Amino acid sequence: MIMTELTDFATQFNVNIPLDESCIVRNRNRYYLLSKKLKQQVPKGFFYAGEYLGAIKGASFFPSFPLLSLLAKRKTNKLIVDKKTAWLFICGRDIFQQGIIKENNLKKGDHALVLNEHNECLGFGKIMHNLRGAPDAKKVAVKNILDIGDFLRREKHTSKSQQYSSRLQRPDRKTHKQTHK
Amino acid sequence: MSSKQFFVNRYKKLGWNYQQLQLKRAIRINTMNAPRDIVVSRLESLGIVLKKIPFLRDGYWINKSKFSVGATAEYLLGLYSIQKAAAQIPATLFNELENKMVLDTCASPGGKTIQLANLMNNSGIIVALELKLRKMFALTNQLERSRVTNAAVYNLDAREACKLNMKFDCVLLDMPCSGNPITDTDWFNKRTIEDVHKNARRQRQILTEAVKVTKDDGEIVYATCSLEPEENEFNVDWALANLNLKLEEINCHGEKGLTNVFGKNLDRSIKKCKRIWPKQTQGFFVCKLKKQK
Repeated sequence: MIMTELTDFATQFNVNIPLDESCIVRNRNRYYLLSKKLKQQVPKGFFYAGEYLGAIKGASFFPSFPLLSLLAKRKTNKLIVDKKTAWLFICGRDIFQQGIIKENNLKKGDHALVLNEHNECLGFGKIMHNLRGAPDAKKVAVKNILDIGDFLRREKHTSKSQQYSSRLQRPDRKTHKQTHK
Repeated sequence: MSSKQFFVNRYKKLGWNYQQLQLKRAIRINTMNAPRDIVVSRLESLGIVLKKIPFLRDGYWINKSKFSVGATAEYLLGLYSIQKAAAQIPATLFNELENKMVLDTCASPGGKTIQLANLMNNSGIIVALELKLRKMFALTNQLERSRVTNAAVYNLDAREACKLNMKFDCVLLDMPCSGNPITDTDWFNKRTIEDVHKNARRQRQILTEAVKVTKDDGEIVYATCSLEPEENEFNVDWALANLNLKLEEINCHGEKGLTNVFGKNLDRSIKKCKRIWPKQTQGFFVCKLKKQK
């Protein structure tokens, strides 16, 4: 059951998730990947442990950045963007065709991980039109769904208001499901 | 006498003439995520001028930057952390950290927890405690950003660490303290000597609990960013007399701990502690204690 949500998420990027199910722990609505040592030796009741993989809120799965980085190491839907585009993407902007350096024949509707020139995963987005052919340069090519600038947005939000009991309740965090609408 | 005059007089008696300083921001490279030279060269290509901190392995001062170093892609990817120079010292004082069981009390905002994970190369286990729930989010965001994989975080008062039913090889006590007037310009208006005594009492309680969860021969690093001897030398003197601990020599930046404070003679081994008066860094106090069998 735990793996279903994770594998379903990974499937959208055409990749199998390379995780040992016995080391994945669900704590409230969050998933963590624990080393064998952590799993055996730390007592229950932790707030956070090991490698955070993501969380479930309602029917939506919210991936963590370590999970996206794990997926990015595999053969998967991904695209590499130039320096300027990488920065704009981190700032929450969508991606235009001219900023894409490399992609693996991504089609409209695909989900793809967005990497910088150093092959570091910056987040992921949804392909808005086939990237090969003669795309309109003025149209958004990849819609930003989640980017690492989220770390700063979370901090800003936390300092403004600490009433939220979980980061998942924050309205500025876009869900994967919402982007389909 | 004003609060400022009171404390400034005390510092003078201890050997430091108070002066307000403008401290440079410092970063620490997370070498578990990328090699040091690569991170430095990427930051320099952004126009950030760095200067190696001579007494730290992975620390750099930001000499010049047109933008916040907390808003670069490299920061968000966990390639470095923003951490004051003096605060980078305590975690480096343990003899060996790889594959060890480490306790980090009062862990938020997580700079030292990440540094421990870095020094451990994400091996072993770090148990990080934080009392305030609202600080837990900042702490866990930092762990996620920096790709720390060997930590377990608990919403627990360090004075209740025994509840974990675990024993640790190394314990980092980055004590909640009164702070100092260099990092907080309003410090003199906020602090009284009663605050200092209250914090010193709490630090003794935390230290007492820490000893209970430390293995025999285990190491405890005690650190504060307070300049007040009640939170530093006096507490260590008390611990040596009451907690079956011994001070270890440490080789790091700073002056010898004070063994005569306001006319009171303290345990002579306290000179093994390091007191850092504000100059290049903020004020700091650190020492390493070993639990006796």
